Amino acid sequence: MNYIQLEKLGEGTYATVYKGRSRTTNEIVALKEIHLDAEEGTPSTAIREISLMKELKHVNIVRLHDVIHTETKLVLIFEYCEQDLKKYMDQHGERGALDMNTVRSFMFQLLKGTAFCHENQVLHRDLKPQNLLINRKGELKLGDFGLARAFGVPVNTFSNEVVTLWYRAPDVLLGSRTYSTSIDVWSCGCIFAEMISGSPLFRGRDNQDQLLHIMRIIGTPSDAQFQKLAKEAPEIQIKQFPRYAKMPFQQVLPKASPQALDLLERLLKFDPAERLSAAEALQHPYFTSTGPGPAPSFGMNSMNSMGSINAMNPVGAMPPPPPPSSFPAYGHSSSSAQAQAQAQAQAQYQQQHSQHQQHPQHQSWGHPAANVGVGLGAPPQQAQQPQQGVNRAAYGMPPPGPGMPQGGMGVGQGMRAVPQQGQGMVYGQPVQGQGGQMGYGHPMGGYGHGQ
Amino acid sequence: MATLYPLASLAQIENTPSKQDGIPDDLEEDLRAYGCKLIHQAGILLKQKQVAVAAAQVLFQRFWFVTSMKQFGVGDIGMGALYLASKLEECPIRMRDLINVYDLLLQRASHALVGKSVDMFQYHPMSYFGNTFYDMKDALVVAEMQILKRLGFNVHVVLPYGTLINYLRVLELTNREDVCTKAWGYLNDAHQTPVYALYQVPTIVCAAILLATRQLQIPLPSEPPACWWELFDADWEDVWSVGGSIMRLYRKRTEEEKNRVVGLVNKKDVRSWLEENAPQAGSDSTSAMSVT
Repeated sequence: MNYIQLEKLGEGTYATVYKGRSRTTNEIVALKEIHLDAEEGTPSTAIREISLMKELKHVNIVRLHDVIHTETKLVLIFEYCEQDLKKYMDQHGERGALDMNTVRSFMFQLLKGTAFCHENQVLHRDLKPQNLLINRKGELKLGDFGLARAFGVPVNTFSNEVVTLWYRAPDVLLGSRTYSTSIDVWSCGCIFAEMISGSPLFRGRDNQDQLLHIMRIIGTPSDAQFQKLAKEAPEIQIKQFPRYAKMPFQQVLPKASPQALDLLERLLKFDPAERLSAAEALQHPYFTSTGPGPAPSFGMNSMNSMGSINAMNPVGAMPPPPPPSSFPAYGHSSSSAQAQAQAQAQAQYQQQHSQHQQHPQHQSWGHPAANVGVGLGAPPQQAQQPQQGVNRAAYGMPPPGPGMPQGGMGVGQGMRAVPQQGQGMVYGQPVQGQGGQMGYGHPMGGYGHGQ
Repeated sequence: MATLYPLASLAQIENTPSKQDGIPDDLEEDLRAYGCKLIHQAGILLKQKQVAVAAAQVLFQRFWFVTSMKQFGVGDIGMGALYLASKLEECPIRMRDLINVYDLLLQRASHALVGKSVDMFQYHPMSYFGNTFYDMKDALVVAEMQILKRLGFNVHVVLPYGTLINYLRVLELTNREDVCTKAWGYLNDAHQTPVYALYQVPTIVCAAILLATRQLQIPLPSEPPACWWELFDADWEDVWSVGGSIMRLYRKRTEEEKNRVVGLVNKKDVRSWLEENAPQAGSDSTSAMSVT
């Protein structure tokens, strides 16, 4: 193996995670070791995680570097992150509650990662603090895609057993199987509240109890609202619920600024159709506004906000989360220059954002035969595809120049434009002389190219 | 990512791994179709959802663009594809159920092979802890793993049904139940051909609509500049080619041709067939092939 296994980091339900170091680059990585079970074959969580994550390349998503496949186990090599949000909150928060600057930075990054998944038509389905990883630089990354799935033209219904109970959207709790991106948005809202207060917002014991917890705060929907839900997702079952009035979020989270509360309110809508999308949430004044912001809890925020956070943290603690590159510089000043800079950052962000949609999507498998037409003497089909930047890069070989999406790649977003070349593509035992050298079907081979 | 999927490259299509090993084109075509029929039959017996069955057939077809039938049998890979697709579509099946169903299907097929009538067929279940079971289970685990490995975990499959409904709506054909049913059927049958590994969904759906409307003699605007398929970004040549691939499934076959595939479900049989037919390897002649 091209990686040296170091200490054990944790043990999940189907995998053990070790810290590791690359023999070639000395880079520290996380090795997720999945034992192959003769009773079940390859775990479906592993299949999902690999097939989806190898295509999701974004600064706010844990990067899957490589996959090593042997007879008895499957090792996924991930980018290394120091800890998860849960532990971060325990260590750095005040009884779990993070300061407002950090909350805002994390929330922005969480929504950015989520929006990127959704743009690429992937539902995470299990967002919770334990699955959000924080690295030394204060970057937040979505991890553990074991429950994620791709979605497309809705022909099939999805499993109802997704998302850890406390972060599960009410429509899913009611039994919906036709949910979509809004279920991740709900989880984002729950995490937002948890970062502000330090404890989970809705802590139900079971499905029913979870619904009651939610209704006690956001209120019981009216009969008309319930009927609308049932009409949109016929599989859901509406029972009788006690009538709770809506509780003002101000009361639940007294520390939060009005803008934070407004955003939270829009994320935690009972009706999935009313929830903001992750991309919309990123445009919320909470992130873009130059106004007073969450002033009450911001007493510590001096001109040098970095320093002030450091002062709050124990010595030797992780440095504070830096504002993401496109994140408007946050401060208490509302000078017009700053406003302009923020508007610019915003515009830049949007531009980068839109570039992600030009995700190279069209690949051939197996042979490195990029940009080769397909069909029995027929013209290449991708010419007819409406998508821009569509690319037939074969994986197994980094695609040539023409495979690059137009307009460069959102470098400001920290995207890695490095193709997966020479990553020590050990593929366990190349079966009968196939595999490795041809790059045949290597999961990480040059696919999607830095996007 | 969710609307597009990888296609076989031109090199893979022109020179499939099976062809490189001397398996003639038409035999590969027949074995692909037979493998898909087995998947379909197994799916029905297992009461599995059609989405999983169709996804399994797509994975199965892709697999033979990266692997030769000399290395793996269509029976094992079909079983592995159905097992894998059932996980992907979130309707997992039990290994034992799948193995029993495949065992039944294969026993029944070889029963028919020796010329006995179907009514006479009696299934002999395998013993619960017998070697047959463990051998098949090992083969199943290996098949699933090999599909994943050789397709590089590119197991994302886009199914055509939702697109068909949309297109029929646009063409205002949804009130014609016969068109809908026929086109739907052609899409299902197309899974026995490699077209889902060669073309994107819009082209295949257009081909299914083309076949259905032609058969039912429903005129659609087909003169330039107003060609209905252009509405869906499909190219006439491609649509025609897919239509041709589907129609080839229904051509008249001799008993010998039908039986030939049944005897070649396992890689061992394929290997001995190749040894016997070595001189003809790579040629297109079918006359020299025999099932023994």
